[in-house]
Amino acid sequence: MTALLEAKGLKKTYRMGKILVPALQGITFDVAEGEFVAVFGPSGSGKSTLLHLLGGLDRPDEGEVSVDGISFSTLNDNTLAEVRLRKIGFVFQFFNLLPRLTALRNVELPLTLADLPEKESIKKAEDTLKLVGLEDRMNHRPSEMSGGEQQRVAIARALINDPKMVLADEPTGNLDTSTGGEIVQLMKHLNREKGQTFVVVTHDPAIAETADRIIYLKDGMIQKVNEGRRRL
Amino acid sequence: MRLKRIFSMAWENMKQRRLRAFLTTLGVVIGITAIIALASLGEGFRVSITERMEQGFELDVLTIIPGSLFAGYRYERFKDTDVENISRIANVSVVTPVMQIGSVPLYKGEKKVSAFVAAAANFTEFQQVFSDRFEFKEGAMPDLVENDTLIIGYKVNYPNETETAFVLPGEKVNMTISIPKQTIPPSVESKNYSFTVAGTLQEGGTAGLTNFDYWVFLPLETAREIYETRLVDLIFVKVPDPEFSEKVAEEIEALFPLYQITVLVPLSFIQQVNSILGMVQIFLTAIASISLLVAGIGIMNIMTVSVMERTREIGILKAIGAKSRTILTMFLAESLLIGLVGSLVGVPTGYGLAHFLNYIIARFGTFQLGWISGPEVERAAIAPIFSWSWIIIAVTFGIVICVLFGLYPARKAAKLDPVEALRYE
Repeated sequence: MTALLEAKGLKKTYRMGKILVPALQGITFDVAEGEFVAVFGPSGSGKSTLLHLLGGLDRPDEGEVSVDGISFSTLNDNTLAEVRLRKIGFVFQFFNLLPRLTALRNVELPLTLADLPEKESIKKAEDTLKLVGLEDRMNHRPSEMSGGEQQRVAIARALINDPKMVLADEPTGNLDTSTGGEIVQLMKHLNREKGQTFVVVTHDPAIAETADRIIYLKDGMIQKVNEGRRRL
Repeated sequence: MRLKRIFSMAWENMKQRRLRAFLTTLGVVIGITAIIALASLGEGFRVSITERMEQGFELDVLTIIPGSLFAGYRYERFKDTDVENISRIANVSVVTPVMQIGSVPLYKGEKKVSAFVAAAANFTEFQQVFSDRFEFKEGAMPDLVENDTLIIGYKVNYPNETETAFVLPGEKVNMTISIPKQTIPPSVESKNYSFTVAGTLQEGGTAGLTNFDYWVFLPLETAREIYETRLVDLIFVKVPDPEFSEKVAEEIEALFPLYQITVLVPLSFIQQVNSILGMVQIFLTAIASISLLVAGIGIMNIMTVSVMERTREIGILKAIGAKSRTILTMFLAESLLIGLVGSLVGVPTGYGLAHFLNYIIARFGTFQLGWISGPEVERAAIAPIFSWSWIIIAVTFGIVICVLFGLYPARKAAKLDPVEALRYE
């Protein structure tokens, strides 16, 4: 079986003023469909950079990312945006919801971008919000919701286009332990029940432990890979 | 993303920042208001002036004056031979010379009135030239013109709108005429002459070059005797149709050495004034357009700030798959809406402002019309004229300005790097 996500020899260097900071120094790994993979490492290890490359938000200096057989390096910015829209869902540490839109409108946004008729997209957004347990909060704005609720909205938004994979960047980093745990449970649940592929970047060992596989990242290199508690 | 959704999102965005959207739009409203008001007032001014002139001028009468309006050369005065030469030109129906005496006082017993111009003319010819205006309110054209016959303008006989006439037909008046004497140094001798009034002319109102209301007419031959000269100051030429006026004017000019006379052709004069006023209108509108330009810069400023404020939002949109073009359209939609709303509000307010200005001008303003005519002062009233073409031009211009100035910030937003934008605090 071919991998859903393939990362080959990814290198990325940032320029901070006059100093060149090597963020990634050759990363290679695969993610299979239905897998829950954690990328674990301390801050500054290049986790977020890696996630941006995997999600097509940024381009590597060297190396290659392909998702569902589509190689990113062959795509221009517009088609890459199209791939992000249709194949990838993002969940961020700071939720990154649009503050002026209601939960429902936030979740619906990717469908709007994909030109779905409003009637259809609203229905689907409602269904997805139910899936994350927010049927009562649909018409609230982010400022009227707790962190955990906001992150559920973000997860619903990531899921709405039926993406091939969801990339989560420290999804519990801005939540207390118990709420964070609930979010992890939600993601695990979606992984188990719907076979949704997750790649989660975290420095929280508690999340990493729940993953099928843990990729340890340090100084922009893969230190080791642990097969986690695969399929409980 | 569908345009309808983009516009509804843009509208929502503007509603979230009401004051900002209002102030930005206000700039556009002011710009469009100024353009519409000035353009319509300019148009109204142009049309009313042109209409007045067309009414006032006999389009088939040319006026020949000595000297030039532009150059310093001066043809002293016209001789009998000049009049004869002009009458030989083709398509000239009547030629009549006039000797112009400055303002004169008229006396009847204790009463006194003033005529702005005393004109010495051949009454019969003069009536042929100005057939529409040289008509009598009281009295009539005498069958036999005596040396002392006088025809009197309406406002001379009825100054200050008084009910009673200064003089009635058949009554005598005295006129004081100043005659220059060839002495060293030059001096002036004032003499009194008695005239018998034949009649009063009808009120003509403000006319183009000549307003007979303030004139009195005496026989040309009488003036020639008084002044002991046959030279005249003005020649009026009537042509069968206004279309001949330009051609006849050229031929008259050819009779005199360059620059020594001026032929006033009402038709071309009206056309010139019309085109000058058209330019004034465009000029006024151009000045008004500057305010729209300022509004455009305001939009650019606000949109640039808005892009900065919404950097993170733009990053989120890009991360979840919005194309650069979509972001560009979103911001352009906002400036387009500002332009559209501003223009649509600006048109009726411009309409209102034009009427308000017209009211102010009509209430407090007066202006003087006429040239060798008389001290006619009128209440100014310029009804603004609104044309669809100006409205369409203004609205289009408003929207184009807004989109144009919105383009830079919108492109800036579209070009944002998603990773950088997401990191933006």
